[in-house]
Amino acid sequence: MLNLLIHEMKSRWIAVLGWSVGLSVFGVLYLNIFPEVEEQLAALADLSVYQAFGFDMGTFEGFIGSTIVLFMPIWLGIYVIINSTKTLAGEEEDGTLELLLATPLHRWQIVSAKMVAIGLAIFAILVVVATVNGLVLREINTVNPVDITFWQLFVAVLNAWPLIMVFVAMGLFLSALLPTRKIAVIILSGIFITSYLGENLANDVASLSFIKPFSLFAYFDSRSTVFTVGVQARDVMLLLGVAAMFFALALISFQRRNVTVGAWPWQNSKV
Amino acid sequence: MSDIIIKTSSLTVHYGKKRGISNINLSVHKGEIFGFLGPNGAGKTTTMRVLLDIIRPTSGEASIFGLDCKKQGIEIRRKVGYLPGEFSPYSGMTGQEFLTLFASLKENKGNLSSIQELCERLDLDPSRKMKQYSHGNKQKVGIISAFMGKPELLILDEPTIGLDPIAQRTVLELVRETRNEGRTVLFSSHIMPEVQSVCDRVGIIKDGHLIKTESIKSLIEQQIKRIHLTLTRTPPLDAFDIEGVRETRRDGNTVSLDVLNKLDDVLAIALRYGIEDIETAQVTLEEIFVTLYNHANKEKINA
Repeated sequence: MLNLLIHEMKSRWIAVLGWSVGLSVFGVLYLNIFPEVEEQLAALADLSVYQAFGFDMGTFEGFIGSTIVLFMPIWLGIYVIINSTKTLAGEEEDGTLELLLATPLHRWQIVSAKMVAIGLAIFAILVVVATVNGLVLREINTVNPVDITFWQLFVAVLNAWPLIMVFVAMGLFLSALLPTRKIAVIILSGIFITSYLGENLANDVASLSFIKPFSLFAYFDSRSTVFTVGVQARDVMLLLGVAAMFFALALISFQRRNVTVGAWPWQNSKV
Repeated sequence: MSDIIIKTSSLTVHYGKKRGISNINLSVHKGEIFGFLGPNGAGKTTTMRVLLDIIRPTSGEASIFGLDCKKQGIEIRRKVGYLPGEFSPYSGMTGQEFLTLFASLKENKGNLSSIQELCERLDLDPSRKMKQYSHGNKQKVGIISAFMGKPELLILDEPTIGLDPIAQRTVLELVRETRNEGRTVLFSSHIMPEVQSVCDRVGIIKDGHLIKTESIKSLIEQQIKRIHLTLTRTPPLDAFDIEGVRETRRDGNTVSLDVLNKLDDVLAIALRYGIEDIETAQVTLEEIFVTLYNHANKEKINA
């Protein structure tokens, strides 16, 4: 299994490098732009459309929490939707999964190696982005003191990891359950978008507040509160618990799957 | 100890309402090359995938080395080399990287040492990226991956597809060497001459059913007779239109027939028109395959 894990890690290093550089640049741009747009953003803060999309940009904490921190799982969500569904369903369609299944590996080892590899890849991206942005913030602090420290920003960026892991596990589960990668991508994208918009709309529209507990983004600490209140251990544990649940469902579904057949679960042979 | 390496009993796979395979009873013995014949979609690949626990049976049982294919799949796959029908390696890797990875995943220390030898025999440069390989060279990587480490059983789904004639010959040599070393090969192919040249026994599968299992020798010697009859009078066009008989050629009073177990009936009909001469000829496996298939079709229509 270790050899498979190493292979899975190696196959992702270019993606890790690319996403790390891209998201670091994204963060650095936003860190440096704030003084120039501070007054305009303060004027926009009361607009409901801003609130609906979770923006809270009147202060430096709100600005960083609503851009760098909030956008981290959104950008990485794109990577996860592509990568987690490519991992099982995509490899099944490419024919490479059949080769793996003909080796003396348990099915749970294959799913686990892929889950760990994606999880480590995302963690590595977040650590690079958090470190680069934290160091830039430290430089900003020496010139123009702000209310966020290196470690606060570092933790806030890494805080995206549990939420993203939920979508990784969900992607693996849908890949193992559904007949094609295309269907898995459509459903995972739908859940991702609904979860993000649902949480923001629930914040803004009282009649929609009932959907907030069902939105995964509701348990992701961002905006100004991630710096003023901090990351909530309860939210992190809950997201990791949901990720673990979907990972377990992925293991069960893949154990039952007739690989190479592309059938719906009810069309599968008995186990 | 039993010399049966692969055994399936009433093996059936259905995907919802779609047929996969039905009631396959198959035995492959130690040290033989067993050819699995059938057109596309007949169920050859499905059977092979069930043996490797890639697909689960709806009912019935499958075992390899006396071990249950589902419950003891890990132990089985340690001793099996597999080449899928559509070999699709990771495109970003070199041939060497791919083979090294799969050698390590197969947990057989003999794998690495045999890679170089197999590359030389198949004339493959393993340092190139998979995406730079032609279809034939990719297939060579798959063949090396299956043969490396000398597995006790090889399951090869159309191994020579896309290969040049020299590589085809090398693969068939490797298959024969495997048998000569007492190891076993389950081999599917559409190329009848190569099946005829390497296989000891064949199983013919049609619409998910195994319609015949026989040694090549007895299939050719006993099953089908090719007869050229020269008759005194010209028989009507439908004279030999009976079950198990296929008219392959007609030239005036001369009729060529492939006859499946109906020699008495054919001679009785021929006598009505006066027999001047009878000649028999060697039948190829391909011709036997076509005749058995047509026979099975007629049986199906009658049923």
